[in-house]
Amino acid sequence: MTVGVLAVGAAAPSMRVAAGDIAAAWDRKSGRGTAAICAADEDTLTLAWSAVDGALRSAGIDAANVDGIWWGTTRPPYAEGPSLAVLATAVGVGGHARGSLHAGSPHAGIDALLGAADAVAAGTVRLAIVVVSDALRPGPGSAFEARCGAGAAAIILGPPAGAPASLGLRVTRMEPYLDRYRGDDEVETRDLYDGRLFREEIFLPLVQDVAGALRSVEPRSWSLPDPDGRLGAVLAKRVGGGAAASASVYAALGDTGAASALLGAVGAFDAAGSVAIVGYGGGRATGVLVHVEAPVPGAARVADVLDGSEARPASYATVLRARGQLVPAGETVPMGVPPESAMFVRGAHEMLQLLGGRCVDCGTISTPPSIHPHCIACGGPKLEPVALAREGTVYTYVINHTMPAPFEAPLPIAVIDLDDGARVMLQVADDGTNVAIGARMRLVLRRYAHERGVPVYGFKAKPVKES
Amino acid sequence: MAWNRVAVVGAGLIKMGELFDQSYEQMASGAFEACVASVDKGFEPRQVEAAFLATQRGTLWGQEGIGGNTIPTAIGLTGIPCTRIENACPSGSDAFRVGAMAVASGVHDVVLVIGVEKMRDKSSEEGLLSRAAAGHPIFTRGETAPVLFAPFATRHMAEFGTTREMLASVAVKNHHNGKLDPYAHFQNEVTIDEVLASPAVCHPLHLLDCCPQTDGAAAVLLVSADRAHEFTDRPVFVAGFGVATDHPYLHEKDSFTEIKATPLAAERAYAMAGVGPDRIDCAEVHDCFTITEILDIEDLGFFAKGDGGRASLEGETAIGGRIAVNTSGGLLAKGHPIGATGVAQITECWWQLRGDAADRQVDTRNGYALQHNAGGRGSGVAVVNILTNRRDG
Repeated sequence: MTVGVLAVGAAAPSMRVAAGDIAAAWDRKSGRGTAAICAADEDTLTLAWSAVDGALRSAGIDAANVDGIWWGTTRPPYAEGPSLAVLATAVGVGGHARGSLHAGSPHAGIDALLGAADAVAAGTVRLAIVVVSDALRPGPGSAFEARCGAGAAAIILGPPAGAPASLGLRVTRMEPYLDRYRGDDEVETRDLYDGRLFREEIFLPLVQDVAGALRSVEPRSWSLPDPDGRLGAVLAKRVGGGAAASASVYAALGDTGAASALLGAVGAFDAAGSVAIVGYGGGRATGVLVHVEAPVPGAARVADVLDGSEARPASYATVLRARGQLVPAGETVPMGVPPESAMFVRGAHEMLQLLGGRCVDCGTISTPPSIHPHCIACGGPKLEPVALAREGTVYTYVINHTMPAPFEAPLPIAVIDLDDGARVMLQVADDGTNVAIGARMRLVLRRYAHERGVPVYGFKAKPVKES
Repeated sequence: MAWNRVAVVGAGLIKMGELFDQSYEQMASGAFEACVASVDKGFEPRQVEAAFLATQRGTLWGQEGIGGNTIPTAIGLTGIPCTRIENACPSGSDAFRVGAMAVASGVHDVVLVIGVEKMRDKSSEEGLLSRAAAGHPIFTRGETAPVLFAPFATRHMAEFGTTREMLASVAVKNHHNGKLDPYAHFQNEVTIDEVLASPAVCHPLHLLDCCPQTDGAAAVLLVSADRAHEFTDRPVFVAGFGVATDHPYLHEKDSFTEIKATPLAAERAYAMAGVGPDRIDCAEVHDCFTITEILDIEDLGFFAKGDGGRASLEGETAIGGRIAVNTSGGLLAKGHPIGATGVAQITECWWQLRGDAADRQVDTRNGYALQHNAGGRGSGVAVVNILTNRRDG
């Protein structure tokens, strides 16, 4: 049974570093393009949420109707922990959804796509979210550091009938070689092999093998891996399809790891024709064909996501701080409620799903429900849980300039009247220039903090750009 | 009247500031001794029957178990009952109210109310700033103390045209008054331009819009009015008090141009005292930030809603103005040692009503002084106490 492609989405973090700045720090001359970097409140999970949010909204799909979620990321935010469950809950997928988390190499993105496709083809899942994301953390000074970026893509798979695109031929090859490597006790990825050895004996033979198998259909567009900023062009020449569609993605965001294969392709789903996707990582290369019959919802918006005109430029020092590779001496004061607190168990759903309690008697929404057994307006005891609206208007706000680490100033905080009438007070993901009484805001998932080493996620407000 | 009349016969405090050289117990002892020394006809400490302690954040000075039992030994009265009252920034005000009720009920004749707070033994990061990340996981993080009041300033400015100059005029007046008060933390004048040019702390509030973190202690003696003559010929009486609550979190509020608990507490206190805001000669109100005082003087009924900024800028709250507000320097200049703050404000009212306020003295032609605090994470509580020097008041 073929599998339909219903919608796509993409996400990029809020900072960009010029590759040349990183190269210069290590007295190297080379360094073209930019790489996307996560701010302190972004990571692979928040990027994944954002890509899924975009895909669902493009197609008008309610997450509650999705019954499976597959996530591929080289490095999930909890090395062992509830990575997929946290993402699924924040996305709004029901608690009975199927799916799996693929990790451990950049090939994880392709694994997630194929895992979801098999479940849809088998009929065990009707609507599946495939999301691929990464925020790479290379060792400082490593040869590939300047090309390491961050980004995410999402694809909604479902029944083929009426779908604008479908999955086709796939081919995989693997060899038990090391390439990029990170041991269980290491936090930074490193290169093991000599560059020429990797290129001639590992990368090109594997990737060319699977790409060759896709050439017979003469794809309109290619997404090809480019782990070092040069191999992608070499591959494109050998495959013979002209510049790959993925080249502009790599130039803007850098290598996005497990996200790169799909992120390099989804923008090309905006017109009819075949798109060949080749992913590589961990000694494995896989090629997949996607046959596009009509523009896929969300595909035309991928270019806007990649456009970095609203992104903040970051210096190399900022990049190192954001990646936790430049840390101040001395102990930091622990902030917030320890994540082992029962409060995080009681609060998990209301925080990640953004819940309120609507008064059966007067209709007022009190939030969060766990501290509101009674209505804030009439005092009534009958409240029913509701998902809060995701957009609203600023009623009043401040811009905080004086906070201890890990908070970073300036931090706007706004009281926002959501469109369903609920009032919330949230941090704003902005430097304050777009915050004013009456400004429109949309709620987005962000990483609030590392509480004693554990990532904690919740919603922030983001100014809605007038279009 | 169902309650026995209560008199204040002694009051004292220590010089507020960063008191790195004094322990919590030494500060308490200093305030108690100042209070005892203030009693006109002398006071034997053993006459204290019960004590109420106000400390808001016992953990700020590094000891988790701070409670009422800390005080009796520190002031040489081991064995007396002593209970800690904690009710956010109005802890001292509320301890005074509870002490007054203990006397008014007839249970005790002589009660000590003491407020003590160590704010500076811990670093800023470990102290109040660490609250930035406190609370339920869904609640707003980055909420330092100014975040609890700056949203009111933003809204007050938008609705009523209140300006930063109007806010600054509160800091200018209170620093001026503080320079006249030997107990104030700050002893310097500031100008409107200096307030405006001070660093942004939490837009629209700047550094000089904010009170400092201050160590301090204050104590007052309450006795049954029919025994006041044993201690003084110039007693001050408790005329009324009121406490009120509002939603504890900011996102639960429907208004950001008033602290709703304040008018409710004031209404109760005015009714109990049988006077209105027009009879108050001077007031010590909660000015943790400049905007707070503007809200207070409206919420307490001294000025119409929205008119507080103009009134402040035009000097109507200065000593000699329509109603003198924060003659002690207020929290902005005298400092805000939280549990001690309300008790220190009572001390200022006591001095004013006895004519002992020296260069800060107000014409107390009506004979009433009002004391007010508001606080809690989202100003969820306010306390108003009204004192009088009138034997019939």
